[in-house]
Amino acid sequence: MANMVNLKIDGKDAKVQEGTNLIDAAETVGVHIPNLCYMKGMKGIGACRLCLVEAEGSKAPLIACNTKVKEGMSILTATDRVVEIRKFVTDLIVSMHPLDCMTCTKAGVCNLQKYAYDFEIKESSFSRKKFGYPTDESNPFLKRDPEYCVLCSRCIRICKAQDTNVLEFSGRGVGAKVVTGNEKSLQESGCTFCGSCIDVCPVNALLEADRWRRGREWEYEKADSVCLSCGSGCSITVSSKDGSIVKINSGAPDGSVERTICAYGRFGFDSLYGDTRVTTPMKRVGSELQETTWDDALKIVADRVKTAGADAAVLSSGALLNEDAALLVKFAEAVKTKNVDSTVSLYSGADAMKSGGTDLEAADLIVLAGIEPSQWKRVLPALDGAVRKKLNNGAKLIVINGAEINIASKAAATLKGDEVKMLMELGQAMISKGVKAPKEMVEALASVNPSDAAMTAADLFMAAKMPVILCAPSLYKASANISLIKGDVVAVPLEANAKGIVAMGMTSGAKKFSDIIASSTKALYVVGEIPVSKRPDTGFLVVQASHMTELATQADVVLPAAPALESQGTIIDWNGRIKKVNRASEPAGGARQNGDIFVAVAEALGSVLKPVKEADVKKAAKAKAKVVFSAFKKDTGHDVDAAALIEETNKTMVNGSRLLWLKELDACSLTS
Amino acid sequence: MSETADKEEAPKKDMKDVLAAVENIKCMVQKSQKFVEEFLSEPMCGKCHPCALGSYEALVRLKRISSGIATQGDVAAIQRIADDMLESSRCIKGKDTAKFLLNALKTEAFSQHLGGHCEEHECPAYVTYRIIPEKCVLCGDCQKACRYNAIQGEKKVSYRTGYLPFEVRQKRCVKCGDCLPACSYGAIEVIEEKIEALV
Repeated sequence: MANMVNLKIDGKDAKVQEGTNLIDAAETVGVHIPNLCYMKGMKGIGACRLCLVEAEGSKAPLIACNTKVKEGMSILTATDRVVEIRKFVTDLIVSMHPLDCMTCTKAGVCNLQKYAYDFEIKESSFSRKKFGYPTDESNPFLKRDPEYCVLCSRCIRICKAQDTNVLEFSGRGVGAKVVTGNEKSLQESGCTFCGSCIDVCPVNALLEADRWRRGREWEYEKADSVCLSCGSGCSITVSSKDGSIVKINSGAPDGSVERTICAYGRFGFDSLYGDTRVTTPMKRVGSELQETTWDDALKIVADRVKTAGADAAVLSSGALLNEDAALLVKFAEAVKTKNVDSTVSLYSGADAMKSGGTDLEAADLIVLAGIEPSQWKRVLPALDGAVRKKLNNGAKLIVINGAEINIASKAAATLKGDEVKMLMELGQAMISKGVKAPKEMVEALASVNPSDAAMTAADLFMAAKMPVILCAPSLYKASANISLIKGDVVAVPLEANAKGIVAMGMTSGAKKFSDIIASSTKALYVVGEIPVSKRPDTGFLVVQASHMTELATQADVVLPAAPALESQGTIIDWNGRIKKVNRASEPAGGARQNGDIFVAVAEALGSVLKPVKEADVKKAAKAKAKVVFSAFKKDTGHDVDAAALIEETNKTMVNGSRLLWLKELDACSLTS
Repeated sequence: MSETADKEEAPKKDMKDVLAAVENIKCMVQKSQKFVEEFLSEPMCGKCHPCALGSYEALVRLKRISSGIATQGDVAAIQRIADDMLESSRCIKGKDTAKFLLNALKTEAFSQHLGGHCEEHECPAYVTYRIIPEKCVLCGDCQKACRYNAIQGEKKVSYRTGYLPFEVRQKRCVKCGDCLPACSYGAIEVIEEKIEALV
């Protein structure tokens, strides 16, 4: 634990951790130090000079964003001297900023507007400067209007922190402008459209492309939710107006490394209003699906699954909420089938999904074993962003992978080859350097001869205070062995609630996912979007989904489910944390939340399903597998193409939203 | 990458070069304007707002003064910019510029300019060029020297009478001063006369 430092801010006593800067320190006692360029969690650059404060005993003013607290220091944040400087800079910026707050989309959340108000700057006292820069509206995601730019460079720095490196400055001073390399369009500059720059822009220079006249900040209803598109399970904040969602921002705490979301999470919500949305139950009449009533659909489904009994099977995607998953398990019991499984079994065993969590913020060494998070391949992009932010902040990286992966260029050590073998080499290298390890492990590794790279990696691992191994679920056991020496191990799933689904007991007691698909069943109940596009051999197919998936078009009954944004519940994310999913808008049309549908079908079967208690979910999330030594082996049968699986499980979302533009762009390989 | 490459390039202008560039200018307004222009052209790094935006604004105001359209407000603005730049600029370059402006503001030059006088006759807007007919020998040398074709008149030819006298066409004259050394007879004078705004 870092030492605490005592200081006085505007006469208030503050006690903060050593190494905190003055802006963050002031925040703890409720004092806001104005700033335009500071970003929490990142190094202050002292460009805007709004954060100047005076310290007793110091002649020159201090830059609050990059001055660290010192014991006994006494800060005054609003003396005449510094307020004059703030007024001066704000005045200068206002002189080159359009004065159209009355129609500006960012009104209400614009920092410049706030400071102009605070400093009573109605109109600039300096000469008006106008540049006539064109607005970049060439993509459906981001609108860039340099006319509004206050040159704070936040967007440039966040883009660099994530290693996307699309934005940069051209020119200096008044004539400076945020541009892409060679002033090309974003799509030609390798932009992933994650929109992190939108989240950090203090003014109207960067904005979601479709925000014009769709409401302003104070008109929105906000809901904290989670994006269920991939294993990152990012926290999001959903803003909606008049019942429909307008925008999504990152919901992670300001300053945390996980404050990154991707294009899917930010812009995929369009699909809620897309053509392929299912809002009424449908049944097959002859060769086509026809709309029907809930009662009719429920009766048909109940009859057929009842007849099938133990020969029925239930399959779900890994994006099912905990509460819904618990109900689905009970539903399967009511049907009396043991064939209930999820896509999780495609890439993970049950043990790996019970792996513990870690504190990514505190980690100073990250080991990526057998996984390749990538913002460009759209595989766990937010995790990739978080890891890269950590690396750019001084953390080290060891990559253990059989293939050449992009992030390896940032690694301090790369162990290329069979992952299990490399983990063994790493273990043995550390043992040979005199690290204490369990006896069984020493014996098991005695014959291993570590390579030079493994020796380097071992040095790094031993030097690290808090190493974290992020591994593919199939490598969990082998990676966990290393964590017996030091640090944490986390198996990273490909779907958001994989850990929750397993914790809720949704692991098959009989046939696994792939067996169910491959074999013949009397009735198959599919929940969500699963990576199966051809109807498996089954007597009766129910698809319960929010959108018309390819499988749904071949179903006998389609039940309209509410997508996550219209559902209420929790998930257990990759890091073992419970995250709350709050309903951001009411289910469209006749759609119902997954759990409610299970209850309704069960009722038609004559059973009553009791919803799971909140305490039980918490208990399940806490129940972690104890890390014990096991043989260095890879779990077989869990090799999947991560990118393909994530693409398959998000197909309707991508195809039903503006993300389709991005997909087609990728296909043109303009972004490569 | 680019940053390290920049450092290896030929040495850039620094504050010394800026000072050298303004050495021979006598009028404090002209001197300040040139100083800020030079500062903005190279040494200004643009890494902090008060200096990057402030010195640009100072230049705008100095140009207003040197072109004779300034008010007391412009001088007050420069004073404020210089004061705040000195206080809040990140590096010595911005502070030096601020100090230069503050020293310039201490002289009489600014208030004189507001009153319509440029003592050193260096601010174009405050002077008029005139050819003294009594001294002019109609040699035409000034006409040749003028790049702007602002001098009209007929060169003396021995057998003719009734010449068109040499005169400065004020509309074309940019007050560059090139004609002054061209006249060997001292027939061109610069008189103080504030003309109405050119802008």
